[in-house]
Amino acid sequence: MLEMLGKLSLRNAKRQAKDYIIYFITIVISVALIFSFNSIAFSKDIQELSEMMKYFNTSIVVVSVIVVLVIAWLVNYTMKFMLEKRSKEFGTYQILGIEKKDISNIFILENVFIGITALLVGIAVGTLLYQLLTSVIMNIFNQPYKIQIDFNLNAVGLTVVYFGAIFLVALINNRRKIRKTKIHDLLYAEKQNENQLVKKSKGNVIIFCISIILFIIALALTKHTFRDGNTISGNLVLIAIITLIIGIYLFYISISSFIIKRYLENKNRKYQKNNMFIFRNLTSKINTMSVTMGTLAVIFTIVIIGCDVAMLMNGMLNNEIDMGYTYEIMISSLDGDFSRYKEYIEKNAKVKEMYEYRTYYVPETGIIAGLTGSAFEGGKWYSEDDVMKLSDYNKLREILGYENVTLQDDEIIVQCISTVQKNFEKYIEENNTLTINNKQFKIKEVRGEDFAQSSGFNSYIYMIAVTDEVLEQLNCTEVGEEEAYDFPYKLVVQTEEPTNEEFYEDLRALIPTEEIPKVEEIDGEEYEYSYERNLANVKTRGKRMSESKSFYTIISFLAFYIALVFSITSATILAIQQLSDSEKYKYRYQLLKKLGVEDSKLNKMIFKQLFIYFALPMLIPVIISIPATLFIGNIFLVGITIEEILLNIAVVLGLIFIVYGIYFIATVVQFERNINEEMRG
Amino acid sequence: MKEILKVENIQKYYGNKDNITKAIDDISFTVEKGEFIGIMGASGSGKTTLLNCISTIDNVSAGHIYLENEDITEIKEKDIAKFRREKLGFIFQDFNLLDTLTIEENIALTLTINQKNANEIDKKVEQISEKLGIKEILKKYPYQVSGGQKQRCACARAIVSEPSIILADEPTGALDSKSANDLLNLMEEMNKQMGATILMVTHDTFSASYCDRIIFIKDGKIFNEAVKGEKTRKQFYNEILDVLALLGGDVRDVR
Repeated sequence: MLEMLGKLSLRNAKRQAKDYIIYFITIVISVALIFSFNSIAFSKDIQELSEMMKYFNTSIVVVSVIVVLVIAWLVNYTMKFMLEKRSKEFGTYQILGIEKKDISNIFILENVFIGITALLVGIAVGTLLYQLLTSVIMNIFNQPYKIQIDFNLNAVGLTVVYFGAIFLVALINNRRKIRKTKIHDLLYAEKQNENQLVKKSKGNVIIFCISIILFIIALALTKHTFRDGNTISGNLVLIAIITLIIGIYLFYISISSFIIKRYLENKNRKYQKNNMFIFRNLTSKINTMSVTMGTLAVIFTIVIIGCDVAMLMNGMLNNEIDMGYTYEIMISSLDGDFSRYKEYIEKNAKVKEMYEYRTYYVPETGIIAGLTGSAFEGGKWYSEDDVMKLSDYNKLREILGYENVTLQDDEIIVQCISTVQKNFEKYIEENNTLTINNKQFKIKEVRGEDFAQSSGFNSYIYMIAVTDEVLEQLNCTEVGEEEAYDFPYKLVVQTEEPTNEEFYEDLRALIPTEEIPKVEEIDGEEYEYSYERNLANVKTRGKRMSESKSFYTIISFLAFYIALVFSITSATILAIQQLSDSEKYKYRYQLLKKLGVEDSKLNKMIFKQLFIYFALPMLIPVIISIPATLFIGNIFLVGITIEEILLNIAVVLGLIFIVYGIYFIATVVQFERNINEEMRG
Repeated sequence: MKEILKVENIQKYYGNKDNITKAIDDISFTVEKGEFIGIMGASGSGKTTLLNCISTIDNVSAGHIYLENEDITEIKEKDIAKFRREKLGFIFQDFNLLDTLTIEENIALTLTINQKNANEIDKKVEQISEKLGIKEILKKYPYQVSGGQKQRCACARAIVSEPSIILADEPTGALDSKSANDLLNLMEEMNKQMGATILMVTHDTFSASYCDRIIFIKDGKIFNEAVKGEKTRKQFYNEILDVLALLGGDVRDVR
């Protein structure tokens, strides 16, 4: 008995593998992804790449948990689905007198067989993928990498545990289902989803409108809370997310009614081409899986916006390097004594250029009004403005390869970050004079070259340059009123070769500190304590680059990981649904063929049906994510332009579309094959 | 009367040259406009193959079939579908109604395939449904109506595009005698009152007795022909039984 059962089960599994080839491939891909990313997490080589890469493995583990949950949902969903599809078969077994226990054993055996096969293939594929990903990471960090087959047992163990758990839960779940259902339900399960076909559409049209309103509210809330960096409210964000999710579900619950209203209640549209046939096919299907579609759409929306924001942060950090770290080494100090740093630098790096200078502070001049219209508008940034000698300014420009500038004694130059240059230029068209300590100046020009600014070294956003003679006459403050992060005396160094993290750490170790006593009153009692204050500040481009590379790697790999898993999961569910229904569709399309529809037209109709079906869960996420990202991106406008934000959105969507597209094409091909197969026979 | 269908010496072979099965072996007959003609024969006699050849689902090996003087064996592959949707109507054994479409839409299906304009479609569907008495259920779905109503819907769909000939393949095959009776009356009505030409394939004597003329097929050849003429259906029924007795032992469903 058991042997026969085994044979039967093996044959079923084989046949299933043909039907559910897309599901199988998805499991293989997810095993491969989980395995390769966990291998990276456990890889010593990668952890040692930089200080920050240590966070990479923690984040992989965290993200893997999410990924495992998603895949668990997929496996559970597919298994439930397979069970329903084959309910007639299992019902027949029961009628023939096979025990429920044995039937559930058949089902379990099959799935264990599929699962183990997928696991083995997936680990093999994952080993290759791991090599590929590692070499990409090594490339980002300019490290040599030779391909080596190391098999990380921890990663294997973890992957097996993950998938063991996924399948165990799904199997227990479905086994219970088999044992509980009655023969009648099994035999007639196929007919069940037809009942929902007829729904009162009036209420649904209202629901549809409500969902659109909810989208608008969610977007308006997002725009409101992200209007600048200071007003973000966690509560509002949460409300926006909840509104959005409810809106998405309502949308997919009511969309079929909307289609009916739009395409099937208008005679002209209904009888045009094949609208009637295709949209009836679609609405009957969407009706029965609106919740699934809604879930997919929610997932897509979150993934797309999440990836977009991650890419934005990434882009902002990269731009910040270019704008803020124009010199390899930048040190500011309170006392202007740079000897110890110079000594270390000259010993450990080949110096190309080295320059010492200082900046001055004057009370706020009103030039801040030039920020009108930029992302910084309305902020109270400083109570002083930074001023620099023209000679220093020109020397610093020369090091960076910019041309010299000249000034008259009554003229000044505003040097600002590139993203606000246009705002300043617009401002000085109307107000081209400036008063510093009762002295009138004419603003000669605004320069927006990269000038070590957004890092805070030469002030954050803008500074002023005046002739050396004039500077002497201005009553400049010695030290900034506020406890400055960057100090007035400055040293910049350009080296022949980029510096590394160690170089930065060594320089930092040279910074002198002073104890600052402080008294604080807590609950009526006075506490005395002191804290250490650094008397200098060190920035190196090398350290910043290394951080940025780590950040880039972590963000883009994780975004890639999540986006890939979510796309394949969603695409699999849609593909399985349509392909296993092709039996039903075969009958419908066959009838059309008998009634005289050409093959080419039939294939066009199949394409149209599947296209709409696949596009639908993507529709809302794409429409919502673009404005949402733009609104959120508002707070990143410091270092990134709108064009760059749009480019980021395009990259993320492009990636998802490619993966999704492959599944779509595979489904179309298989679907057409299924439909045409029987027609010839 | 005008000749609608002319079948001329058609043959249909299956298999390879070492092992040929002649499903149809030289059959010729004609059908006139407004005729209700039946094709009878036992399982495997070639009657369904004959129907498939006429409906262009299958190709003949030799011979010609003319529908309204057009040789359908010569129609190019790319025009076949157009021919089928314009000239032929079908009544299937299981009605082949689409669950996803309402009764109205099911009837309109052929017309939409023919790209008729919406007003014309609407008018025709209304006319035909009124004639067949299914106007009240037009907005319902197939699973919400009775078997008899489904039959009427299937018939409406077959006749709405005003085809040259309606082909029915064992239409009563899956029905109980009451439903079969209803369907046959309906087909007779379509034939007599709406002037539809119907060609029905059946192995059921009772169904056949509704026809004006019956062609009996055995082993791919025409075996006999029976014409109803002025006889009552009862007399015609008995005549058919007599022919079937001659046909041989494998026709057993004599009532």
